Amino acid sequence: MAKNQNSMKQHMGIRTANAISNTIIHILLVIMSIIWLIPFVCIVLQSFRVESTWQVGYVIPQKWGIDNYLNLANTDFWKWYLNTFIMGVCVAILQTIIVLCMSYTLSRFRFKMRKPLMQFMLILGMFPGMLAMIILYRVLKDLGLTQANAVPGLILVYVASSGMGYYVSKGFFDTIPKSLDEAARVDGATRAQVLYKIIMPLAKPIVIYTILTAFMGPWGDFVLARYISFGASAGMNVAVGLNNWLTPDQIGQNYTMFCAGGVIVAIPVLILFMCLQKYYVEGVTGGAVKG
Amino acid sequence: MASVKLTNVKKIYDNKVVAVQDFNLEIKDKEFVVFVGPSGCGKSTTLRMVAGLEDISEGTVEIDGEVVNDLQPKDRNIAMVFQNYALYPHMSVYDNIAFSLRLQKMPEDVIYNKVTNAAEILGITDYLMRKPRALSGGQRQRVAIGRAMVRDSKVFLMDEPLSNLDAKLRNQMRAEIILLRQKLNTTFIYVTHDQTEAMTLGDRIVIMKDGYIMQVGTPTEVFEMPENLFVAEFIGAPKMNILKTNLIKEGDRYYVTPFGAKIEVDGEKGKLLLEKDIQSGEVLLGVRPEHIVLAKEPGEHAIPVTLEVNEMMGSELHLHVYTEDGTRLIVRVPTIDLEKDQREGLVNGAKLFITFEGKVMHFFDAETEKNLIY
Amino acid sequence: MKHYSDLEYLKLSKGKKLGYRVASFFTGIPKAIWNFIKKIGNALKGAGLKVADEAKDIVGTFIKGDWKTKVSYLIMGFGCLARGQILRGLLFLLFEIVFVGYMVLYGVYWLRMLPSLGTVGPHEEYNEIYDAYTTTYGDNSFKILLYGVLTIFFIIAFLYTWRVNVKQNKLAEQILRSGKKLKSGKDDLRSLVDDQFHKTLLALPLTGILIFTVMPILFMILVAFTNYDGAHDGYYSNLFTWVGLKNFNTLFSWSSGGVNYAATFGEILAWTLMWAFFATFTNYFLGMIVAMMINKKGIRVKKLWRTILVLTIAIPQFISLLYVSKMFAKNGIVNGFLMNMGWIDKAIDFWGETANHGLLARVTVIVINIWIGIPYLMLIATGILMNIPADLYESAKIDGANAWQQYTKITLPYMLFITGPYLLTSFTGNMNNFNVIYLLTGGAPTNAAASGAAGSVGFTDLLITWLFKITMGPESQYYLASVVGIMVFVVIAVISLIVYNVLPSIKNEEDFQ
Repeated sequence: MAKNQNSMKQHMGIRTANAISNTIIHILLVIMSIIWLIPFVCIVLQSFRVESTWQVGYVIPQKWGIDNYLNLANTDFWKWYLNTFIMGVCVAILQTIIVLCMSYTLSRFRFKMRKPLMQFMLILGMFPGMLAMIILYRVLKDLGLTQANAVPGLILVYVASSGMGYYVSKGFFDTIPKSLDEAARVDGATRAQVLYKIIMPLAKPIVIYTILTAFMGPWGDFVLARYISFGASAGMNVAVGLNNWLTPDQIGQNYTMFCAGGVIVAIPVLILFMCLQKYYVEGVTGGAVKG
Repeated sequence: MASVKLTNVKKIYDNKVVAVQDFNLEIKDKEFVVFVGPSGCGKSTTLRMVAGLEDISEGTVEIDGEVVNDLQPKDRNIAMVFQNYALYPHMSVYDNIAFSLRLQKMPEDVIYNKVTNAAEILGITDYLMRKPRALSGGQRQRVAIGRAMVRDSKVFLMDEPLSNLDAKLRNQMRAEIILLRQKLNTTFIYVTHDQTEAMTLGDRIVIMKDGYIMQVGTPTEVFEMPENLFVAEFIGAPKMNILKTNLIKEGDRYYVTPFGAKIEVDGEKGKLLLEKDIQSGEVLLGVRPEHIVLAKEPGEHAIPVTLEVNEMMGSELHLHVYTEDGTRLIVRVPTIDLEKDQREGLVNGAKLFITFEGKVMHFFDAETEKNLIY
Repeated sequence: MKHYSDLEYLKLSKGKKLGYRVASFFTGIPKAIWNFIKKIGNALKGAGLKVADEAKDIVGTFIKGDWKTKVSYLIMGFGCLARGQILRGLLFLLFEIVFVGYMVLYGVYWLRMLPSLGTVGPHEEYNEIYDAYTTTYGDNSFKILLYGVLTIFFIIAFLYTWRVNVKQNKLAEQILRSGKKLKSGKDDLRSLVDDQFHKTLLALPLTGILIFTVMPILFMILVAFTNYDGAHDGYYSNLFTWVGLKNFNTLFSWSSGGVNYAATFGEILAWTLMWAFFATFTNYFLGMIVAMMINKKGIRVKKLWRTILVLTIAIPQFISLLYVSKMFAKNGIVNGFLMNMGWIDKAIDFWGETANHGLLARVTVIVINIWIGIPYLMLIATGILMNIPADLYESAKIDGANAWQQYTKITLPYMLFITGPYLLTSFTGNMNNFNVIYLLTGGAPTNAAASGAAGSVGFTDLLITWLFKITMGPESQYYLASVVGIMVFVVIAVISLIVYNVLPSIKNEEDFQ
């Protein structure tokens, strides 16, 4: 009996130790959450600050108002917004088609050039893509697709090279058993029918993941968009446009407006992302594990 | 080398599902005990409670007289082989086997001797540098056993270790486990769902169902004296035929009347019925397929049946037959007992007569399904 | 060196095992290089043999072929048309007509100009209408280079098609001889959605990659051997031309006209590798720890913590990065907060302090990168951690591992084992992580010692941001940007090659998946 009590004590010891470590972890998580959220809270608060338009050392506005949001209408902001939105939608559709074609083929078909093709693209991916910008700019300029007309040009560039990003979805297709394809083919389906009748319905998570990342691409792209739209406000996306407000000569008058613009940009992407978070997580984790 | 004692052990999960009910068992030193039962019967849970991988909700587990309820698995001095082997995929075979020894801070040269020794016994010396993924199922199984072997632990636990192997390999490994047991000479607890494994390996068998122990006994005991209908049906393949029939007591003699036949319960079984003073009434009569014989001609002892399927197993025939009222029975006939023309007569739809003797009968209460005699 | 058998090796002490492994690694290098050379040699030999085979086959087909086949050597698709395969025949024929037309009208000109990249630059010429000298533009080096390369592509494509055309004839003859029927145009179309479906699917993506990725990269590699820059744009200012390896010399010579590119390159490369290392591994380990914290038994509202972290992924990076960059500015919120709390009395110049090679800025970007990267890694680590079979931990528990040992002996090696390839791509990705550096610091603080090099170079500049700065700089030294780009490729390729070949776990990992 004494022994039993002793072990009971030990048991309690383990439990309290566990409780303490859990409490510490909870505290750490709260601190982390605060650190992760601070920039976003700050940006939202600053966007409502109206007493000054430049950077200040405090967070809570002294005078609140929505002037910054209203002022956006006097700038090209909504033009940039529309540009980005159009690009986002077009890229989401076209890039998804291309990426799925590519990854499905490389996952399912065994043709002679498959391995060399994949190796070639691996090597190709080691070149900094930025190099291509210079020539793409000249070529697009000859086609009249730069500066103010940058939107179609950018879409073309985004979509055309998107086949390189097939890894994640190929990894997903690899996990769908081949026997399904074989069963369908025995049942009389052509390869094309196998794709859209069997595989596509099963691949919903990865399709949504691809659409989501493709849509988010243009919202965050800075380098290429800046290069192609070079100086022409009408062809810029939000990233390039808003960045201009933070140059040393503009930051004094446009800083709070940048915050307001940032909030407006973040909201739709955020909503979309939160709704489809499940698929995103699935894609990210699957892609990394399968490499 | 240790005894294991489970007293009133109970396992209740958080969602109030009771996995193990009031489990009492004493396992002697160096005994090989097999837990067997259909899936979900609580056999693995019990084993994992002994290992310390599951909390014990109620009751105590003792190893060598010491209550281990609140000891960590590592402090219980046990070794375990898992169903999926649980080999560490990033370690070589050598490192896998040496893992627990290294954690005990054993000197490397001692580890070397132990590991190579175990590898020698298991015949995996050539694979010591390989990663588990480069091994076949049987080789992985050996590594898993080797890992448990080198620990010199008091109790050796095995959780369905053969269920992932194909039939041929399973038979081979079963024989090797028997040899292993002789070499290690320690206490074994072995979990399986396969009654053949249980019968061939165990000194004693614990048959479980829905968290309850149905019977504990040696293979002979559970086979010849099943305490209840469940054990009777679970042990033995093909499974025991159960007929609903009447037991009639006429004086000091007992008769059963299946399908219009009348067969006397003679010999020891009759005596035991008399000792227990069993009265006439409806019973469940159990007869194992190998105990039914084909009668040459109709008679009072013979039950007329129709042959449905004839399975040729090589050394014996499994005849699936049905009686007038559609009850299906299986009859196991050694091939050698039949003349050639007799065998040729066993085509589907053939009319046959079967019979059995009193000494092979098992009687179960129609209500409680308990054995009337034992 | 003595070679040990498995058992002998295992008997060695820990130190000796390590020594043996290191020794066998180094003694293995010459062999590996030799094998590599042999492999290349074999590949070349194979290619040579293949060319010889092809030539033999082409000649043989001509000699043995009937007259339809023979005509096809000159008029592509003739054999197909003559044998009733109208669709194929027309396509071949059309391609030949287009090719010949293009070559006669343009191709020959571009090819002829390619070696010189143009001879007549922009010059003053007397214009009778205005009665004055006006600028007349001559050749366009840029177009010559571009279309020259395209023409070569086109010729290769034509040769390939011609070869296919010959093969088709041989095949058709064989089929007809064996008494079978040839495929009709309808069959051809049907096979494009069935057994040739992969060709249909790949046509569009590969065309895009060819035009928008392969071609530009090839072009820019060639640019590295020219003097293409702002002052030689090939049309408006001056023609540009081939300069051989001069640009590589410029980058690697320690002194060229007062500008020391080699030192600048060395400094940036060192920081790039340092950055990639820290950015990859800090994120990796911290992300894993966060994942384990959130997934620990007994932690409440797991979903909330996860969602808060994932939130940061959802917000476009340029917003968060630009904003965080400004938070750390001299007059930003971080300094304001620290001063209000009275912890410091002078603002810290996070992005301007140049002491110790800009150590403060470098550490700050790495820390901010942790803030950015942890959510991704947390997601990835969660996925992998959940996939680690529970019985591994159970087995380890029985083997006597405590919580810490379970982490170091099971969780960590398992993660590294599974994520080997991911770590590699993540490392090279970080080397080229333009956004984080450019949006956060823009390369600041400025590196005074390197300011002579094209574009203003800072202590946090990576090779990739330097490349961008060179391109956008006042002189637009495209040739130098190309050389830097090629160097980035070389560095990444070498690292990848070593990792893939040296670390057996990664190689095996690929095999097993």
